[in-house]
Amino acid sequence: MENYDSKFKNIILFLIIGFALLPTTTFAAVLYLESDGGEYQPGDVFIVEMKIDNENEYINTVEANLSFSQDILQVVDFSKGSSILALWVGEPEINQESGLISFVGGIPGGYGGKISGDPGVSNLLGKVVFKMKGFTEDNSLQIGRVDFLESSQVLLNDGKGTLAKLTAKGIIFEIAQFEPTQIPKNEWQEQLSKDKIPPEPFVVEVRKNEALFEGRYFLIFSTTDKQTGLDYFEVSESREGEENWKRGESPYLLEDQDLESVIKVKAIDEAGNERVVEITPPKPSVIEEKKISSWWILILIILIISVAFWIFKKFKKGKKKYFYKTPLS
Amino acid sequence: MSKKCNLKVKIFLILLFVGIILISPFFNLKKDNTDFLKNGISAEFIEAGFIPTSVIITVCGNGVLDTGEICDDGSNNGDYSYSTEDKFCNTSCDGWASYCGDGTVQSDYGEECDDGNNASGDGCSASCQEEGGGGGGGGGGVFIPPAVSTKVIIKGKAYPLSSITLLQDGKVATTITADSQANFTAEITDLTSGIYTFSIWALDKQGRRSITFSFTTNVAKDMTTTVNGIFLPPTIELSKTSLQRGEIFNILGQSVPESDISISINSPEIIKNVQAETDGTWFYAFDTALLEEGSHAARAKATSPEGLLSTFSQTLAFNIGKEIVGVIKKADTNKDGRINLVDFSILLYNWGVPKNSSADLNSDGQVNLVDFSIMLYWWTG
Repeated sequence: MENYDSKFKNIILFLIIGFALLPTTTFAAVLYLESDGGEYQPGDVFIVEMKIDNENEYINTVEANLSFSQDILQVVDFSKGSSILALWVGEPEINQESGLISFVGGIPGGYGGKISGDPGVSNLLGKVVFKMKGFTEDNSLQIGRVDFLESSQVLLNDGKGTLAKLTAKGIIFEIAQFEPTQIPKNEWQEQLSKDKIPPEPFVVEVRKNEALFEGRYFLIFSTTDKQTGLDYFEVSESREGEENWKRGESPYLLEDQDLESVIKVKAIDEAGNERVVEITPPKPSVIEEKKISSWWILILIILIISVAFWIFKKFKKGKKKYFYKTPLS
Repeated sequence: MSKKCNLKVKIFLILLFVGIILISPFFNLKKDNTDFLKNGISAEFIEAGFIPTSVIITVCGNGVLDTGEICDDGSNNGDYSYSTEDKFCNTSCDGWASYCGDGTVQSDYGEECDDGNNASGDGCSASCQEEGGGGGGGGGGVFIPPAVSTKVIIKGKAYPLSSITLLQDGKVATTITADSQANFTAEITDLTSGIYTFSIWALDKQGRRSITFSFTTNVAKDMTTTVNGIFLPPTIELSKTSLQRGEIFNILGQSVPESDISISINSPEIIKNVQAETDGTWFYAFDTALLEEGSHAARAKATSPEGLLSTFSQTLAFNIGKEIVGVIKKADTNKDGRINLVDFSILLYNWGVPKNSSADLNSDGQVNLVDFSIMLYWWTG
């Protein structure tokens, strides 16, 4: 009996220790890459999609830093089309020599993952368009890699900017070990030729705020392109009808601080489709941030007190007249 | 003498009152619906949320019968049919498109009559033509293709008669009002197909704001994408935030009428339950004697009478016996009551070492990813 009890206790102890040592499940966001194929011939232009699996936790900010085999792969373009990132901190940076790509973007309100019934893919961060370079001298089979660096970060939509636990998966490509027998394919050009839709409609606002540009007038604007992605903006300020386009991004410091020019902002997507928004700046007094000069408030207060005092004096005079009309007893 | 004094005082007070009313918009002296944007909040207890399982998407026009749809004939949705047997679904997938035999004369499609059947010999032929006395030939109507558009419909529950703001990729798309039972339906048309992030937030009857609920979905071309089952968490407010142990204070807010409110107070976690009134308002008088001195937080979630479960509300901090620490600065950098592109612009301009500390939301001396993330959490559009 004692042996039985002892054995039983040992089993229980073993089970307890066993469960304690089992790896606990830790939810983490996963950054990963996808492409349509794994083997390409020299000259092929193909697309690598960068995606995120948020593991059922709301995230709102992504900083992605990637490395790629710069001797085998050449970056042709970067597309924000179909990206869940609605706001970008600057433009994606691409360094061909170092083989590095980086971008920072966010989703206002956060991204919570795929909803039941969603008919398509909705976790795309962006696309990198690569071209496979030529063979090496010995024509050997070559492998190109694209990986997320450890410096990549994903932040939770928790109001604190907490870093999400993150894992990342890279991707490998092989160069075909034979001479090219057909015209190199170009997946990107196929998408560009299909895209006839301009960027989404947007508004342009003229603003003024002490926290930017030393209080000078500036423009804010933002839009997306749901097909090949937004490429860049141009801004034109003109007083006499001629357009004077310059590349720019929001916030954009206006050259004409007198606000007498007609302002146009053009959004251009990767396929060259354009959407232009034109505004005539309102009078400067309308643009002031919702703040009335404290001097005016002081004047208003003085005015009210003065009116009150005047009414009081009038009333007092009237009372005096009444008083003296009454005969003294 | 005293009468004169009283009169003077009365006149002065009236004028002072009028003056305050006149200048209050500039000082924002009336209750500010966006106070939460301007006040710091203890970061300790806030958590990232998740999408509740009640939220589902159905697509009308994809040829697949999704939950909640009566029918779906894909690209044939909305087409006219010459018989009851071959009728097609309408463009909302909640009924049938026009057909001969539906009891309504569709003259646009050549119908001369429609007696609700496809039988002949009863005065109206099987093809909806008048019978007897030289009645006309068959059909011959002009085919009018149904208008198709790319549309999104968003349905759910907020608070009775609440004002609801719907954002599309961070920008205000529309504002609507919930009905007296807190139900709302928002519709967005004229979209291009693609991936969108939609966000919803609401103001309750006291001007308290809900959290922002966001979801990302594909919107298919020439189809109606309907998002069902959204249930905004309750609004929440604390009558006091600095308390002495043993003091009682109110935790209150608004939700769906007669929903069950579960209030979670940390830490350690204490759960209290209360039922919302017929107008959705709820409150609980909490005794701080149950807690130790220190920082604590409260949040609430609701279960609707139909059994839908919301996620948690905003988390509000309070302290017993000591000051709140770790306050995150207001995200409304330009103090206009909104957190939107203007604030983002200020953030971008001050990226790195800030020229203006208003953009440094967590007061760590830098404007970086963390400040960006904090701003996105409070985004109002």
